Amino acid sequence: MKLLGVKATGFKNCCDGFCMDFIAKSKKTSEDKEYELLEIDEGLYAYGTVGIVGKNASGKTSALELLDWCYDILSTFRLSGKKSDYHGIHLEVLFYEEGFIYKYVTQLDNSDTLEDRAVFLEQKLFRKKYYKTKLKQIMEEEWLEKCHIDGEVPEDFSIVFFVLKKSRIGELFYDLTADGAEGYPATFKFMKLGDISPNILTDILKIFDENVTGLKQVDDKNYILTYQGVEKSFSNSELFNFLSSGTTKGILLYIAAAFSLKAGFDLIVDEIENHFHKTLVENLILLYKDKEVNRHNATLYFSTHYCELLDLFNRSDNIWVTHSNGKVEISNMYEKYGIRTELLKSKKFYQNAFDTAVNYEALMELKKELMQ
Amino acid sequence: MKYLIMCEGSNEKKIMDMLLENGKLKVSADDLLGRIIYHARQIRKSPMVMGQLRIYGGDVEIWRVGDKQTDKLDIPAEFRTKIKKVTKFCTLPELEILLILSEKKYKEYEKGKSQKHPKAFAKDNITINKRRYKGETGFYEDYYGKDINKLVRALQEYKQRNHAHKSDEHYLVEILNGL
Repeated sequence: MKLLGVKATGFKNCCDGFCMDFIAKSKKTSEDKEYELLEIDEGLYAYGTVGIVGKNASGKTSALELLDWCYDILSTFRLSGKKSDYHGIHLEVLFYEEGFIYKYVTQLDNSDTLEDRAVFLEQKLFRKKYYKTKLKQIMEEEWLEKCHIDGEVPEDFSIVFFVLKKSRIGELFYDLTADGAEGYPATFKFMKLGDISPNILTDILKIFDENVTGLKQVDDKNYILTYQGVEKSFSNSELFNFLSSGTTKGILLYIAAAFSLKAGFDLIVDEIENHFHKTLVENLILLYKDKEVNRHNATLYFSTHYCELLDLFNRSDNIWVTHSNGKVEISNMYEKYGIRTELLKSKKFYQNAFDTAVNYEALMELKKELMQ
Repeated sequence: MKYLIMCEGSNEKKIMDMLLENGKLKVSADDLLGRIIYHARQIRKSPMVMGQLRIYGGDVEIWRVGDKQTDKLDIPAEFRTKIKKVTKFCTLPELEILLILSEKKYKEYEKGKSQKHPKAFAKDNITINKRRYKGETGFYEDYYGKDINKLVRALQEYKQRNHAHKSDEHYLVEILNGL
């Protein structure tokens, strides 16, 4: 299963018809096929990395959360724990599965009986057989072929179940602002679920803190850390206080990435540059572009304020720009701005080509106040 | 010090990947920048190469692999002190000359070379398991994948037969292991 796009109305602070799609649009060079694109089916290309940029409070997180919702529906067939009002949200989710492209349409509402769980109303599922030669036609034609739904599901259960059958991990949403101490049990949970070798953890520890050469889990709340060659016992919170915040978050992020790359599911990271050295972030992005590492078509979706990261992109159709003018809007860099790929995207940012620059006047107002 | 191997096409990259995987190169993945071989003509146009050059702090020697490589490698200012040497490894006039040599059709090719470039000749004359060569990368894997020494022999014979290289155009056989 691969998510190909989503259109939402009534979702959080986003405008009606808020839409993102992840099928390669611009020219596909052989280098792009090598590093930027994932061939999902013959001639059907998605992206290894997708970046979302925009000013503060422009809606980058909302865009990523929408993807997280889609993945929850496609992988667990449910939506829960989103701390959100589901009433009136309309979703159209496009995905690929085994030779077919599907469009799932639903209206959401709050459950009367199940707290913080969405119910799915007016669900419809359409499909089209994928043909390499007819991709454009497939996407433009009306969706007429309804999937045969053989059975009923509870109201809090999506009918995509009838196509995807088995719950799976569709993605991991990594929130770098979450409570750091919770990162350790999550790290070991991912290692267990993904059968990640302890050597990978050792390598990751070395990257973030050269003094740390080992970390073992005793139980969910206790750990043994090897620091400068000496083993020390720590509780969850003690370990969080001992290690730097960047190390703690980095261990979890890199283990989540190792899991995602190994199993071929997608990773969503909000504000990827938070807490890390630029090189470590660049390295993570490059891992998803390297087919020797990313062998199972995993995608890294991330938001960032750090426009230099986008210089790691050879394309611009896998970059989305958010703006907020009361409601969040999102535009595809290739479709809206049409910048030439050979131009450094960071330079264009500093030239404010995407209207993402920090408000200079506001900065000077503050300075003026501070000078008085 | 790390080696940065930049191949100008995906077919050249496939050839080099196979040599690396089979331990036929003088260098191993440990010696390579980012542990891989790149499909990149120019540094500036390859975010993968740019990214890896930024991450690595040490010196770098570049091996460019392609046919004529008439375009000069432009080294961005930020990497000029880091990149110590650039060497060109050529397969003239086109990579398909290796397939022609392996098929023992070099003489046949020589007779009509004024009319037909190696790529066109290979498309007309070279097949594997009844599959005709169409210029695709997968063909090289199918052709040499099961017998990497066939590729090594082609590279050796290429050097013996081709004396048209200029002084800065090196032969791939020079970076093969144990030769």
